[in-house]
Amino acid sequence: MTEMIKLFVNGEEVEVESGKNLIDALEKVGIEIPHFCYHPALGADGNCRMCLVGIEDGRPPVVPACKTLAKEGMKVLLDADNIKKIQHDVMELEFINHPTDCPICDQAGECKLQDYYMKYEGTESRMWVPQVTKRKMQDFGGGVIHDQERCVACGRCVRFLRQITRTGELGLVNRGDDCRVEFFPGRPINNRYGLNVVDLCPVGALTSADFRFKQRAWFLKRAESICHGCSKGCNIMVDHNKEKYEDDIIYRLRPRQNEQVNGWFMCDEGRMTYKLENDNRLEECTLAGAVRPLADIFADAERRIERATKVLFLVSPSASLEQLAAVQALAEKTGATVSAFSDGYIVKDDGDDFLIKDDKAANRAGVDLLGIAKSRTHFDNMAKEADVFINFGNDLSRSLSEEQIGRLFSDTWVLNGATHPGQLGAVMEKKVGSSIALRSWSEYHGVVVNCDGIAQKFVGGVMKNVERPDIVEMAAGLGSPATGTAAAWALVQKKIPALAEFGGFLELPAEGVKLTDNEAGK
Amino acid sequence: MAAKVKQLPSRGGTPAEKVYLIEIFKGMAITLKHFLRNLWDNSNLYVRHYPEVQPDIPARWRGRHRLLTHPDGTPKCVACFMCQTNCPADCIMIKAGTRIDGVTEKMPVSFTIDLAECIYCGYCVEACPEDAIRMDTGIYAFTSSNREEMKIGMTEMLSLKGGFPEEEYQKGLEGE
Ligand code: SF4
Ligand code: SF4
Ligand code: SF4
Ligand code: SF4
Ligand code: FES
Repeated sequence: MTEMIKLFVNGEEVEVESGKNLIDALEKVGIEIPHFCYHPALGADGNCRMCLVGIEDGRPPVVPACKTLAKEGMKVLLDADNIKKIQHDVMELEFINHPTDCPICDQAGECKLQDYYMKYEGTESRMWVPQVTKRKMQDFGGGVIHDQERCVACGRCVRFLRQITRTGELGLVNRGDDCRVEFFPGRPINNRYGLNVVDLCPVGALTSADFRFKQRAWFLKRAESICHGCSKGCNIMVDHNKEKYEDDIIYRLRPRQNEQVNGWFMCDEGRMTYKLENDNRLEECTLAGAVRPLADIFADAERRIERATKVLFLVSPSASLEQLAAVQALAEKTGATVSAFSDGYIVKDDGDDFLIKDDKAANRAGVDLLGIAKSRTHFDNMAKEADVFINFGNDLSRSLSEEQIGRLFSDTWVLNGATHPGQLGAVMEKKVGSSIALRSWSEYHGVVVNCDGIAQKFVGGVMKNVERPDIVEMAAGLGSPATGTAAAWALVQKKIPALAEFGGFLELPAEGVKLTDNEAGK
Repeated sequence: MAAKVKQLPSRGGTPAEKVYLIEIFKGMAITLKHFLRNLWDNSNLYVRHYPEVQPDIPARWRGRHRLLTHPDGTPKCVACFMCQTNCPADCIMIKAGTRIDGVTEKMPVSFTIDLAECIYCGYCVEACPEDAIRMDTGIYAFTSSNREEMKIGMTEMLSLKGGFPEEEYQKGLEGE
């Protein structure tokens, strides 16, 4: 437990965590100290002066909150007249040359300048000299667009690229009203985490070329999810919206803070995985090449499973624990074998020492926890013997070539549950007995375990126009005893005792549950 | 204050009235009387001879929308979505993109208003920070036999002209 200390804010006593600066300590108890340059992941820089607070009987009497540790008995003044004047005047300074582009600025709606103007300034400009104009719409590389006029020179972007990625592409040049952020000539932003500067920038000076002008921030619905791009499981926010007469579309992914996992950041590739959720999705369920209702496909497949001598189920290493358990239960009931063969999900030497991992599967640790075999030999042997093969969303084309898949299943009846075309290879997909278009991770809820054995919940907020089953529903349709996500969760809890104390998966804490080594590495 | 109650005598109770037919012919006789009188001389009618005679509408009348242009013909709209956000009928549908005509950075790629759903409240005009949308075309009659045609697009709205002199429109804005 962190130690708690007592201090006074505007004369009222509050209890805060010790060891934090005033901004963080007071934020935890719901008191805002306005600030631009400080960011918990980048530390205090003390350059913007927006965070100045008064300390009663203090020497000095006015201090930057970002650089001041919260101390027992401190008397912090936030509503004193001199502090209000400082906040007002700092804001006025920021606005002297600010273009106030809000109508065409993507940051509008989530902009610190807008918020603070409404709260701490709110006066008309007193300027009558022409504003200093600078460059706009500058391509900073890495999908980042810079607007020099909107920049408040807080240096967050510069510090991120120096401290976190250690690539140092950006720097602040010149002083006063000529101060601006620039990249070194010929060396634009070029690293795998560059787009994080867009989230870090407190104003609209850095925007994403990909998201640019697609949506206004206030239209977006948000779902707290986990990135399924690799086994790190970065916490993300899925920003999506269903426009009138159109489908529910994801417009961007943003990192969500989780100190245990990704801190405040995510990688650029992960950020772009939303495109897969939107584009080129399978929509139809087929039986012998013809589009048929799901119930017919289930009934037909169930009959075939009953009659078959050997049945093989293939699950995806990115499927949620609930989905894996539901398929396992179905296998137990029907005597089928389950494999999570997915060697192709591992991209050797792609990972780094920050967030990106070699393993591009979101739940391989979960596969191991549930004791599902995943070796190539096991899969090959089973595939050769099987006369019915059912794929539950595994992208087999990552692990095997078309010929290999064709050879393995040359005389096998195949039911292919998939999110995108091509997951069994184009040739095989023409020959399959049945196919089911599945829901993808942004459309269902669940729990996945990341590479460090942390079980994390995620919520699927996207509601597509085309109704598709998720893997739990598919398994249930084929006769799995786990008839829904709740029943599947109960099965998961039986197999992973550390999760048993949480009623529903939603009760998992936001920062995830760290499974002990012997639980996670079983 | 107590509510005032006025009791009206109930009619239609006499045997002659109960036959109905007599009353119906009496009523038709009144209609015929009016018809013949107005056929002879219709100057007393409180009716506008629409559409031959068009009404005189003020500059602030909220008619059909138009999108305004800069003097060089480029659209004033910057696709800020204020109008769409403010529209209570949710009938404005904008798609934004990067500006290609050199004026600022952002412009609408498509801008559609579904006039079948519009309630002509004028909130879009009030919300616009660029004076890019107005309802001063003076066009108030707009009909169609199918829903799709009730949607008007960007090109059409850009081509419409204001129906009033600028000073008169601005006068209407005084006090806002
Ligand atoms: S940075 Fe903020 S205040 Fe400046 S134009 Fe963008 S939204 Fe408006
Ligand atoms: S671009 Fe944004 S993050 Fe970078 S210094 Fe300017 S305001 Fe700060
Ligand atoms: S007049 Fe009202 S209902 Fe019609 S488009 Fe404008 S805001 Fe929407
Ligand atoms: S409010 Fe005005 S500038 Fe903004 S999108 Fe609507 S018409 Fe265009
Ligand atoms: S946040 Fe403290 S000076 Fe900028």
